[in-house]
Amino acid sequence: MSSRVEILNDGGFRSDGRKQYELRDITIDLSQQGTADGSATITHGLTQVMVTVFGPREAKMRSQTLHDRAVLNVEMNVAPFSTGERRKRSRADRRILELSAAIESTFEPVVQTSLYPRSQIDIYVHVLQQDGGLLQACINATTLALIIAGVPLHDFVCAVSGGVHSTEPLLDLTTLEENDLPNLTVAVMPRTRKVTLVTMETRLHVDRFRDIFELACEAGQAIHKEMKRAVRDRTVALVGAMDAGPKHPSGDPDRDVMMEDR
Amino acid sequence: MTSTLVSKSERAYIQASLQATPPLRGDGRGLLDFRTVLLETGVAPLANGSAKLNIGKMPHEGGGGTEVLAATKLEVEDVETGDGVDGGRIVCSVSCSPSAYPHLSSNALDELQYDLTVILQQTIGHPSLHPQNLTIIPRRKSWLLNLDVVILADSGNVVDALFMAARAALWDTKVPRTRAVEYHAPEETQTTRDSAGAMDIDQREAIPQTSGFDTREMVRTAADFELPDYWDEGEVLNGRERWPVCVTLNLLPPTHFLDATLPEEASVPLRMHLTFSFGTPNSANLQSMRLSGPGELDLNQIKAYIADGEKYARELFNALETKLREEDIRRNVKARDRFALR
Repeated sequence: MSSRVEILNDGGFRSDGRKQYELRDITIDLSQQGTADGSATITHGLTQVMVTVFGPREAKMRSQTLHDRAVLNVEMNVAPFSTGERRKRSRADRRILELSAAIESTFEPVVQTSLYPRSQIDIYVHVLQQDGGLLQACINATTLALIIAGVPLHDFVCAVSGGVHSTEPLLDLTTLEENDLPNLTVAVMPRTRKVTLVTMETRLHVDRFRDIFELACEAGQAIHKEMKRAVRDRTVALVGAMDAGPKHPSGDPDRDVMMEDR
Repeated sequence: MTSTLVSKSERAYIQASLQATPPLRGDGRGLLDFRTVLLETGVAPLANGSAKLNIGKMPHEGGGGTEVLAATKLEVEDVETGDGVDGGRIVCSVSCSPSAYPHLSSNALDELQYDLTVILQQTIGHPSLHPQNLTIIPRRKSWLLNLDVVILADSGNVVDALFMAARAALWDTKVPRTRAVEYHAPEETQTTRDSAGAMDIDQREAIPQTSGFDTREMVRTAADFELPDYWDEGEVLNGRERWPVCVTLNLLPPTHFLDATLPEEASVPLRMHLTFSFGTPNSANLQSMRLSGPGELDLNQIKAYIADGEKYARELFNALETKLREEDIRRNVKARDRFALR
């Protein structure tokens, strides 16, 4: 009998101490990155992804533009030190292209591209650390970055990964769980409850699928709450800074910073 | 490094201001002033050592600046059958995020990556800087140290940032302690008796099966190792004081200046990258020198620049040293204290 880590023990706890339906810790950082129009870093537990958005702007190659709407261009960069074992993936790696295509098709119906004909919106995804739930983190970070960039969207897109351990559904999987269990990723638009992405690369019995799918849709709502809160906090800070206005000339002459956002 | 578009009048304006008395720069700095440098080590917990560096980030959540993330990862290599070199080896690679160079095509990005990789590899991989503790089992197994640097944003002076981040990540690197082990077949079977001893086991008498001139059997000794303590992060890289720092002198005869912003880099394309290593407090070794851009210098000028460069590099080195030690304290001593209080 090999000594394996238990995915779900009798007390209902998983290998990292969470309960079955518990999501990992989420931290959202919306501070500006370089010269990007919008950027967001999201951390689900130990998975950390940063997305920067440029655009809408003039396309680099005219031939790739569309006459009536904007083109979404997603490029993904996985850091070689993001996983336990170092692995340098080239830009044309199949797995990376697959993930980029998945992200692009997820946001194609959500971004109001018809407002920007003949332009390009560049989405650069940087994977800094991976511990399962990669597509989920990429999609969530992309949503936030697009919102911060001011690109008009129909709704948020909230993604969550899930899996089934014999008959028990689990949410937000780590690498250990992803390697062992059939798993899927679901991206929902919370207001309309429409699903914009469902992907599964493993085999799952069709009876189990319904449970985990419905559960994942519900979990998308929980993630939506977190994301909305982060965006609201940032917007409140920015509006406060704008309202503060220029300092009175008789104020402290050493303070040449006009705006405070704290 | 990048092709920022600068018009002729803008270029003339910048050059004239730099050559004026007193010299003027767009952000009000002096010719030899660096922008604020922010450094944090230990940002990638899965890596053996890591550092994130930002030069010239605007305060109060402003963003911008040149941001670079460096991390080292150690892999075990087989010297005999694999690519390993006895004594270990270091391989550097630089990758440029398209968000740092949004106007470059992916081919141009690849070329830039390659250029920067070569600059970093030739200096860091030099035998004079090679650390001594990258061997696991002599002539059999050694460590391959992969230094990966990602450029997340570039607003000028990216080469200095690369070397500073590389130095910080290498400083932060911990090499796991290993112990060699050997498996000895049981005594009964004559044919599997090994000759000559190894690390942990007593010497056994060798009964030669074949001629004494047959040396093939001698290398079949210990070929494996273990980690005595799984949770121990390891020891620091040997010789970590030697890792070099780079200063880029942007040359505009008769003056020169440091830490150029993008418009300044576009207006003054001639620059010299000097990397110095200050292994012991009083010595200074010029590890590498690279002149890039259109222009020519004569030997006296070069000598003068090297002398100046050494002064600037020493200041940079001292500042970086102070910060790295502070980071060490923050992450180790303070963390230990906080943990002890719980």
